[in-house]
Amino acid sequence: MSSNRIWQSTVGKKVVMAITGIGLMLFLVVHLAGNLLLFVPDGGVAFNKYGAALKDMGALLYVIRGGLLAFFLFHIVAAIQVYTSKKRARAGRYALETSKGGPSKLSVSSKSMIVTGVVLLIFVPLHVWMFGMNKGAPPPMVMIDGSEVKDIYTMVATSFNQLGIVVFYVGTMLFLGFHLRHGFWSALQSLGAMNPKWTPAIYAAGFVFALLLAGGFLLLPLYFFFFVDVPVAGTGGDM
Amino acid sequence: MIAKSPLLDAKIPDGPIQEKWANHKASIGLVNPANKRKYTIIVVGTGLAGGAAAATMGELGYNVLNFCIQDSPRRAHSVAAQGGINAAKNYQNDGDSVWRLFYDTVKGGDYRAREANVYRLAELSANIIDQSVAAGVPFAREYGGTLANRSFGGAQVSRTFYARGQTGQQLLLGAYSALMRQVDAGRVKLFARREMLDVVLVEGRARGIVCRNLATGEIETYAADAVCIATGGYSTVYFLSTNAVNCNATAAWRCYKKGALFANPCFTQIHPTCLPQAGEGQSKLTLMSESLRNDGRVWVPKKKGDKRPPQEIPEDERDYFLERKYPAFGNLAPRDISSRAAKEACDAGYGVGPTGFSVYLDFAEAIGRLGESVIRERYGNLFAMYHEITDENPFKQPMRIYPAPHYTMGGIWVDYNLMTTIPGLYALGEANFSDHGANRLGASALMQGLADGYFVIPATISDFLAEHRPDGLTTNHDAFTESVKAVQEQVKQLLGVNGSKTVREFHVELGRIMWEKVGMARNEPGLKEAISDIQALRDEYWKNVRVGGVNEDMNKSLEFAGRMADFLDLGELMAQDALERAESCGGHFREEYQTEDGEALREDDKFCHVTAWEYKGEGQAPEAHLEPLEFENVKLTQRSYK
Amino acid sequence: MKVQVKVWRQKNADDPGRFETYPVEGIIPEMSFLEMLDLMNEQLLKRGESPVEFDSDCREGICGTCGLVINGMAHGPKCACTTCELRMRDYQDGETITVEPFRAQGFPVIKDLVVDRSAFDRIISAGGYTSVNTGSAPDANVLLIPKDTAEKAMDAAVCIGCGACVAACPNASASLFVGAKISQFSLLPQGEAERKRRAVRMVEQMDREGFGNCSNHAECEAACPKSISIENIARMRREYMKGALTEA
Repeated sequence: MSSNRIWQSTVGKKVVMAITGIGLMLFLVVHLAGNLLLFVPDGGVAFNKYGAALKDMGALLYVIRGGLLAFFLFHIVAAIQVYTSKKRARAGRYALETSKGGPSKLSVSSKSMIVTGVVLLIFVPLHVWMFGMNKGAPPPMVMIDGSEVKDIYTMVATSFNQLGIVVFYVGTMLFLGFHLRHGFWSALQSLGAMNPKWTPAIYAAGFVFALLLAGGFLLLPLYFFFFVDVPVAGTGGDM
Repeated sequence: MIAKSPLLDAKIPDGPIQEKWANHKASIGLVNPANKRKYTIIVVGTGLAGGAAAATMGELGYNVLNFCIQDSPRRAHSVAAQGGINAAKNYQNDGDSVWRLFYDTVKGGDYRAREANVYRLAELSANIIDQSVAAGVPFAREYGGTLANRSFGGAQVSRTFYARGQTGQQLLLGAYSALMRQVDAGRVKLFARREMLDVVLVEGRARGIVCRNLATGEIETYAADAVCIATGGYSTVYFLSTNAVNCNATAAWRCYKKGALFANPCFTQIHPTCLPQAGEGQSKLTLMSESLRNDGRVWVPKKKGDKRPPQEIPEDERDYFLERKYPAFGNLAPRDISSRAAKEACDAGYGVGPTGFSVYLDFAEAIGRLGESVIRERYGNLFAMYHEITDENPFKQPMRIYPAPHYTMGGIWVDYNLMTTIPGLYALGEANFSDHGANRLGASALMQGLADGYFVIPATISDFLAEHRPDGLTTNHDAFTESVKAVQEQVKQLLGVNGSKTVREFHVELGRIMWEKVGMARNEPGLKEAISDIQALRDEYWKNVRVGGVNEDMNKSLEFAGRMADFLDLGELMAQDALERAESCGGHFREEYQTEDGEALREDDKFCHVTAWEYKGEGQAPEAHLEPLEFENVKLTQRSYK
Repeated sequence: MKVQVKVWRQKNADDPGRFETYPVEGIIPEMSFLEMLDLMNEQLLKRGESPVEFDSDCREGICGTCGLVINGMAHGPKCACTTCELRMRDYQDGETITVEPFRAQGFPVIKDLVVDRSAFDRIISAGGYTSVNTGSAPDANVLLIPKDTAEKAMDAAVCIGCGACVAACPNASASLFVGAKISQFSLLPQGEAERKRRAVRMVEQMDREGFGNCSNHAECEAACPKSISIENIARMRREYMKGALTEA
């Protein structure tokens, strides 16, 4: 059967959303793991090394970035189509709409996927522009292990000492949490990887996952804002 | 000797009973496979009989038009059957056989069914199970993977197949899926939300139907080479029954008015274990599985009008009337006997509950003996349902039950081929009268519906079609125009009365007359009263009914109004048939004819026959035709459940 | 007992529709919800107004004909319950009860509270069956089916086709209905031969009927009068993907 037919079907569309969603979640896990290096009290050496190592991946980095971008785009296009199909399918609105509870997983997070998704969609390019392309607070250079690398630690610390940016990041990470709270379990259900025995456990795991990821990302700006002063440029190098 | 009416040739094949069906199939006319698509067959109804018939005839290659009043064929009232379906598979090795199922059914019907038909039914029962399993019906199974059986309705062998308490639903969905496969294949065309309002005859032969599109009000016509009616029974003539609220007799009744004879209308079955009426405004009664009587004890207080809560009535002030009257069978006495005994107790003022029309079904003794967990395991879902509906917990206090109309054995008269007295018009399932005699055994209704639909009609219809080649008749024929005019005329008349009483109010009144006088126990003065009461009600109906709305729209009040008009006529015929049948048999109990112990007393010399009524025109008395029943294989005996 | 019924009135599919509020008197708590509506219609008829059309048939929760959204919940507030099984004792004297039809593109309104659910029939006709002609079935016990498998198939087969899953789903998705039927046949050996083709065809028919995409809210399971599990939706997805990836 043609892949287009699968993509056009409601089931196929959700499978695409699930696979891309899981891909993006794995990326977030790796990303957070990297970010945790920011907590290492070494003035940013570990984090800057990590940044440099990423740069050294060369072409592979571009392949990964390309893949990520593709996942992201497919996820967005599928999401928009799911949303418009929902709008079409439920054209007439109920005067009252109440959840029956019980086995229902209807929640703020499940109902607001499109909203939280759009917030993330706005956030991601800004984030990439600010930190990925270093346009927010251009990083100074620093010497590590004898070579000159970008002091992205300082860049992050500088940005996260600005109240506006902290508020923006913290706010967005709350939305991420809600997105993941439904997204994690929904992806597995969309892939058909569910049975009633596992459902409660996986649904609970979704909560923990969302809490850890969003919490991890959310603590960083707060940590810098409250506990780390803007370092003097270029101090994140060899001591 | 009962004289046989020349109108009623049952066309029973010759030969020993075991070979009749096989011989018949071998000798009847066939239609060439390539020619089948040139024939159009109308099937009205999509229950077990209609759905299975339409599907199977579609498979054979006929061009089938299938109609139902519901919004989908899957909603036909067969869906509500709970208990199970009998089949002579003898999987349990307990001595069951086609012969035994045949014998039990003839005896259960109190010797008022045709032997040959019943034998065929028993013979086909096994094929039904095979067919249904192949269709994916998830019957209950043993750990080893074989099919499970249970004993049902006092049968002495375990021959009932079941799917939880939803056997009817699962079998219907099996037939429905076969039907939808033919819809997919283009061989069956489905017409939902259509109510048949007339059968069209051309040169004395059924050639089509007139129906009302219930969504738009449009009157539509369809032509065919044969018409099959599978529109169920008429229990809703009692207003309150276990049947669905849209169940009606209209399709069958319009056939009757066009010349199809209506047989044994007084044979109705009242089910003993239903939830009692809670008060005015109730629209239907809910059946509780008969299996409850296996562990529940039926009683009423010994004192009339005793309003104490049941727990406060001491043991020696209780009357376990079934155990007292029928010590051998006790609480498991057959349906008609148990029902009658309960009604007698209530009519005499011993009834319990707010209305005084219910008796206790008490599980306290069984819970004490077996423990609550065993009872929960056996009847948990039923107890929950009871609790839900009544807000009374049957683990803490006895259930209250009361009998309710449940099934009608009478119906359109058919011959062995299921053809009515109108050539080309067939009646299947509960709509016909054929297989259950005066009383239907538990788990036999599903069997008959599917036997008729899957196996009988697809085989027998070719005999007629082979003799009547397609002739290009269309609905432009005058007969259709006339029929449409008559239908429109009646609709206009109903809408035009614009009186002050609603259709429902009339239905409630008719129901009361039927229940009181043509219900479980009947007598001559009561039946005569019923006839004059119904006549008076009918006069009032046509002068004072308020229908409201217009025809050219969805108008349920109008639907019910048309059905009600037919119920009024049918109710009178039931009373007349009950009056004519001066004996007691099965579900028909005439108080004048009972043994010293209050048992039904048959009068085999005078009434071992089918009474089929012929419509003689508006305001004319219908004519009774008799088909004597000959029993060559089963010896007639008096039932005894002492 | 007395209630106010705020009910949706709509002349036909093209009419935009509106709410009307009718007082209903003389209700007894034992009445079912539909009997209360019967009473309302009797009172409307007596006043010369047109009754509110609604579908119902067996009134014992098995035929799937009835289905209303009551105070924002398909089949009312109770889980594992159809509209016809709902009793008035669950409502307060004097309460205003909002009654709406099932709303979905796949279920166009015919009149008032009556909707057209024929899309479900078309989905079943796209493969919700086994292709076995009458008379060609082998003896029923030739096929041994483990008790657990039969029970699981039955858990899916109990669907009454009422459409509450669609009505309750924020996306108006029919996945629970379709998933239940695909599950029943994919669990049973009888369904094996047409397993892949069935899953693909039924899903594609569901999509053609204009039902929305399942976003895993699981509200359908809460609304289902037979408590059918969304496990069946997961199974439908596996079956569809197996079919879609391996069928030509």
